[in-house]
Amino acid sequence: MGNDLVREPVSRQLRIFAFDPSLSTQFDMAGIGEITIAVPWEKDLSSGPVGEYIEVIDADPASGLFYKPVDLNDKWVLAQDGVAPSETNPLFHQQMVYAVAMTTIGHFERALGRVALWSSHRGVGNEDDQFVRRLRIYPHALRDRNAFYSPDKKALLFGYFPVGIKDARNTPGTLVFTCLSHDIIAHETTHALLDGVHPRFNEPVNPDVLAFHEAFADIVALFQHFSYPGVLRNQIASTRGNLASENLLGQLAQQFGQASGRGNALRDALGSVNPDTNKWEAKMPDVRAIDRTFEPHDRGAILVAAVFGAFLKVYRGRTIDLYRIATEGTGVLREGDIPTDLASRLAEEAARCAQNVLQMCIRAIDYCPPVGITFGDYLRAIITADHDLNPDDTGGYRLAFVESFRQWGLHPAGMRSMSRESLLWPDRRAAEEAAGIGPTHDELQSLFIENQPIFPDQKVSSKIDRTQKSNLQTWTLESDRYKTWLGVEADAAALWSWLMRGKGRKLTRVFGLVVDEDNPPPTVFRSSSSDNMISVEVHSVRRALRRSPRGETVADLVVEITQRRRGYFDPRTQEEMDAPGRQFVPDDKGDFRYRAGCTLLMDPTTMEVRRVIRTAGTIADNAQLERVRRYITEGVPGPSNAFSPARNAMHEREPFALLHRDQES
Amino acid sequence: MAKKTVGKKNGKTAGKKKPATGSAQPPAPNATATAGAAEGRLIPPPGGATVRMYRIGHGDCFLIAFAGDVPNRPAYVLIDCGYKPGSPGKINPPAGVTSAKEITADIKKATGGRVDVAVITHEHQDHVNGITATNFDGIAIGEAWFAWTEDPIDGLANDLRKKFKDKLLGLIAARNRLAAAGGEDHRVQTIDEFLAFELGGEDEQFNAAAAVAMLGANGDAGASMNKASMKIFKDKATKGVEFLRPHEKIYTVPGAKQVRVFPLGPPRDPDLLESLDPTGSEEFGPGMAVSSCGSHFAAAARAAGSGDSPEAPFAQRYALPWNDAFTSPDDGTFFKERYGQHPSAIGPDTAESPSDAEWRRIDKDWLYAADQLALDMNDQTNNASLVLAFELGKGGKILLFAADAQRGNWLSWAKKAFTDGNTQITARNLLSRTVLYKVGHHGSHNATINGLSTDGYTNLAWMGSEGTSAREFCAMITAVRKWAETQKGWDHPLKAIKEALLKKAAGRVFQTDTDFDQMKMADGGSQVDWDAFAKRTTPNRLYFDYRIEP
Repeated sequence: MGNDLVREPVSRQLRIFAFDPSLSTQFDMAGIGEITIAVPWEKDLSSGPVGEYIEVIDADPASGLFYKPVDLNDKWVLAQDGVAPSETNPLFHQQMVYAVAMTTIGHFERALGRVALWSSHRGVGNEDDQFVRRLRIYPHALRDRNAFYSPDKKALLFGYFPVGIKDARNTPGTLVFTCLSHDIIAHETTHALLDGVHPRFNEPVNPDVLAFHEAFADIVALFQHFSYPGVLRNQIASTRGNLASENLLGQLAQQFGQASGRGNALRDALGSVNPDTNKWEAKMPDVRAIDRTFEPHDRGAILVAAVFGAFLKVYRGRTIDLYRIATEGTGVLREGDIPTDLASRLAEEAARCAQNVLQMCIRAIDYCPPVGITFGDYLRAIITADHDLNPDDTGGYRLAFVESFRQWGLHPAGMRSMSRESLLWPDRRAAEEAAGIGPTHDELQSLFIENQPIFPDQKVSSKIDRTQKSNLQTWTLESDRYKTWLGVEADAAALWSWLMRGKGRKLTRVFGLVVDEDNPPPTVFRSSSSDNMISVEVHSVRRALRRSPRGETVADLVVEITQRRRGYFDPRTQEEMDAPGRQFVPDDKGDFRYRAGCTLLMDPTTMEVRRVIRTAGTIADNAQLERVRRYITEGVPGPSNAFSPARNAMHEREPFALLHRDQES
Repeated sequence: MAKKTVGKKNGKTAGKKKPATGSAQPPAPNATATAGAAEGRLIPPPGGATVRMYRIGHGDCFLIAFAGDVPNRPAYVLIDCGYKPGSPGKINPPAGVTSAKEITADIKKATGGRVDVAVITHEHQDHVNGITATNFDGIAIGEAWFAWTEDPIDGLANDLRKKFKDKLLGLIAARNRLAAAGGEDHRVQTIDEFLAFELGGEDEQFNAAAAVAMLGANGDAGASMNKASMKIFKDKATKGVEFLRPHEKIYTVPGAKQVRVFPLGPPRDPDLLESLDPTGSEEFGPGMAVSSCGSHFAAAARAAGSGDSPEAPFAQRYALPWNDAFTSPDDGTFFKERYGQHPSAIGPDTAESPSDAEWRRIDKDWLYAADQLALDMNDQTNNASLVLAFELGKGGKILLFAADAQRGNWLSWAKKAFTDGNTQITARNLLSRTVLYKVGHHGSHNATINGLSTDGYTNLAWMGSEGTSAREFCAMITAVRKWAETQKGWDHPLKAIKEALLKKAAGRVFQTDTDFDQMKMADGGSQVDWDAFAKRTTPNRLYFDYRIEP
């Protein structure tokens, strides 16, 4: 296709439902029920749709049927911006999940400055991880009021179900398709993307971990929704005179959440309709809510509320001038509709703020500790990530975040100050001082300028050429995602070699790692291949190239390093097992796994470690181990059922399926 | 496993003391009942009651003797008789494993062979499987009480039962499909555990296949072991069967007129019955009741099993039948390459995972909702528990038997008040006078609601809050912890609930598996209260007797 005269398009226009069709009658939304969005043009997109990132396979095993795949390159389809929105046409369903998921992926790639990768597959009997090129989407996988990301299958499973109750808005028996809700699609895709970055973020070792996964997915869905131009304009215009249009945004956010089955949690955090006045009222921030809320969705909603609060602060700051102009300084709007120009400008500002907040929130996931994230960590991640890209905080975004998080009682443990500067993760100098280890600049440079050999006993993927002269200096940003994936493994091998066998060993303490010289407890895992050394795992070395608002390119290597230790439910057993000299076979896993480690942000151009982000304790830290134990043995807030353990068994298999079910039932 | 079987055998033969032949013969009519001193008869204090909590295993069996209208002729109320098979052997210490046979023999002795009211709180194995024709041979029953959900002429009840039956059949169909598909043993076992609750029986190794076969092709749930147990009581009831509705009227115990009975649950609201956590469903998008989902799923599971095709969500022109899809001239290649048809052997360790890999398919995944359905159904039956508050004389002490009520049931108690002549009696008032609380659902997570006395919803703090009732308040947990732990670690009783109860009752908390001498006063409790409590209690290996003065 194509010829010399016409260039290949950059995007493909596709129509989607802007609001969940089951909710569309709830709003007075004539004309904006559906919108057309621009999805990056994929040259090799085939029927399904199957592209570079996503494959939509429409299997409906409960009905014993497959549905024919849509061909988005069909000329009739191309000519009308995709298949027309319809609840009864599965081809449209396939198109919609593709369009929304691709949009979410686009946000991630832009924020993280690299191609998105799904988490790898480890097959039964296979030694190495396999590259999974495409996330699979099954739009009609389940006859259930549920939709979830399956980390095992690298797939999104959407369900459908009949409406059960007859009321003004519903006809019993009609089907509701979860795959037609923009927010559900974005939410589940985000779970998959986050899993691709942080596979350990679904190991609950504190009350924030699972809540974070949910909240983050909600945040992305919400702000992605807000960032479409046009979605907000009608809404803003229709509530004329309401100067506090923050209220409107909050209400919309909550209603979006409701459509995606997360209404309850968001209702409590964002606001709800006051039965006395019949008006929607925003919920005031509550510093103590976090201390008494433990159910993952409810707890996650607090994080959503805190981020949303920050968004509103920025939005308010940026639109106050518009109100002054429109009210001629009086602050009171005249009777009648607000000018459409004003509505457009307000909507534009809201969309832009949403876009920026979304980028900040996504970028922050590179600045999180590798395991056991807390909301406080996430705040530090947001602030640091934004600072490193945009040192000036021109829009006041960081200030807004800090203030909003403080109002919701979310703060990092043990911080002496909540100023923007003190929230920054430590740089190398600070980490060196804390560890009491002298300057390590030369050692660090060696990582970039010297070859790091792969040792014969070093465990690396069989796909890597062991003889390669490996170092981190060759700086490319591969566009082939398979090569990128392979590069991650090669870089990890080089980094491990430097850290454990090369000059990097001097820095282990700076990074909060524990090695043999530190004489850690015997329950800490040792390497099975290399001489029984304390095991240190370099999980990923991700390369990122981001563009700052000032037009500079900022390069990053994001490195995650963890260590493992056997934990025991009974503290006395732990003590026994930690007795000096005890030997373990590698298969002995203990009752649970305690992990610790660090995330490093390295700048390959200056050969510097920009940030050292350590977990709360090192692997030898007994107090931290005790905290994890207590959370695992008593703190896990069970779903409200008598048979939690039965559920937990299911949970292990599909961690997200039950989270969502529980919320909804 | 071998150990368990031994335990079971012991259990079955343990009741050797007195073979339950027809020796005591049918209904001991009133004429003989005056012999108050008859050996082994359970005699309550004058004007009061004695509660005999049988240590039947992980399950419920309570005999209450109320001081009767006629002196020395107590009225006997029996509440449930069931246990989880395997659990009696785990009672610690097993000074001779108890058995349903031995216990029912004791019931006969204690009542003189006549129970005035026999109550079945809900249709779960661990509440009814002790009720067999042999065990109850020689025990006459006056009235049999059930929850309104069993009422054959109640439209709502019929509706619920029909839906429940459909779901049960769907669950069974899903279970059979999973079993046939292979590789899902763990999941099938989980579902079987729940089926055991619903279908009943005394076998330790619940044989789902057999139980399902027993239901017959049309799935006549009337053929389940649970139903058979309930039928025994219905058939035996010489004075009729009563189906109790909450808040409608105040009952009295036949033969003990001063004892009034307030049915607090199950709620007449299907939403509260079907959802164990109503706070969660209050505002989920419009009209998305869980129940419809279960039925929707169940219909598909059954249809798929029987070869009928369930109602398809889209017009036929979009669809390809599962097996034809791979040979379709237009799209066959797509489905073969992108989904895959045949089981794939563990392939070579390719760098990139192939797109037709078996591990990515979802043939069975939709059936996994069966787990959830099983849990939902279990909760639903628990929430359909008949909850009774017995009052010792007007305005007197209350004995609260909460069966397996979970949150939905609990929250309904206070939704209405009882009309007593010109006054209203609220759930709060009844709870405030409660001196004995039979803990809901073996002390599990959502079956005792915590809260403050000032909270507007029914909760533990409302109990025993009036007058001196706090000094007497005690709780009874029907749980065998060691056995529960073998069930993939069911948390019965939940530590937090046990602790809350121990604190509230200053240590006066009975538990099936805990000998009396292992119970101790909570820190800060009153020694006087404890001594009085100990005086009211007569424990042995078979039961705890607990006397309540008026």
